[in-house]
Amino acid sequence: MRIFTVFGILFYAGIIILVGLGLIVLSLNILQPQDISNLLTYTQHSLNSRIIIGLAGVLLILISFSFAQLILGRFQREKTIAFTTASGEVTIALSAVEDLIKRLAGIIPEIKELRPDVIATKKGILVDLRVVLKSEANIPELTARLQEITKSKIQEVLGLEEQIITRIHVAKIITVEEKKKRDIEKQEPNIPFGDYGRV
Amino acid sequence: MHKEETRTDLGLIKIHKNVIASIASLAAMEVDGVKQIGKDLRSGLLELIDRKTVASIRVEFDKNEEVKIEIPLVIKYGFNIPEIASEVQENVRHALEKMTNLCIKDININIQGIERG
Repeated sequence: MRIFTVFGILFYAGIIILVGLGLIVLSLNILQPQDISNLLTYTQHSLNSRIIIGLAGVLLILISFSFAQLILGRFQREKTIAFTTASGEVTIALSAVEDLIKRLAGIIPEIKELRPDVIATKKGILVDLRVVLKSEANIPELTARLQEITKSKIQEVLGLEEQIITRIHVAKIITVEEKKKRDIEKQEPNIPFGDYGRV
Repeated sequence: MHKEETRTDLGLIKIHKNVIASIASLAAMEVDGVKQIGKDLRSGLLELIDRKTVASIRVEFDKNEEVKIEIPLVIKYGFNIPEIASEVQENVRHALEKMTNLCIKDININIQGIERG
């Protein structure tokens, strides 16, 4: 399977290089439009050459489809955590794990916003958290608590014993004034000419 | 669409794939912790044109007349996923065997998301 992927990448790289070379040759005026026209006329001249060109076209389309399916299938497989039970396979979408982690923002009041990104690697589950905190939060204590809660919640809900690595990136700290300002903006939207006619 | 066939003394009984999918869907929804059956692109498009189907549940028959089912699920927040998945597999197997006498090979569960219950 890996050889097929390498072959596919080399194949597409080759085609793109050929297209690039063709464009360079055209721009340098080495190949005349008349030559291209002659070549196309020659290929359409006999039935055999037309059949060969048609088959080559079909083959290219088939290669493209199978290659795309291989790549997309691989991407899809990598986006899930899978385990097998007696009745069949269970796959959990990584987006489902992200949904689960987003709910943690409601548990910890110091967190204003939480954006998780979950990746399944050979070493275990890698959780990247981008958080926006409120200013009253003690960052070392809070992040340690968040890491612990994330780990225990994933292990509890998924029932997996895999290693869970949690990385936290504090993107912003919202001050009390900023928070109040935001809340006021949310509550009272400015209506144009809202005060018009009022005494 | 493939139909499971059974011959009796009086004639032929055919069970459509959609019937199996419906039974699987109802049995899965019976389990506490299951929010809804997940959706795929095809079922989403069919819903847009107002066709109520269970297209997102895939049913396949193999050469030995064994059935393989794939069920996408959305789980309620706070439930243990492996436990729910296992319970769904058991409930679906039980319901299908009881209602259709089919031989079930695999019941694959695909957890698509988690929602507040």
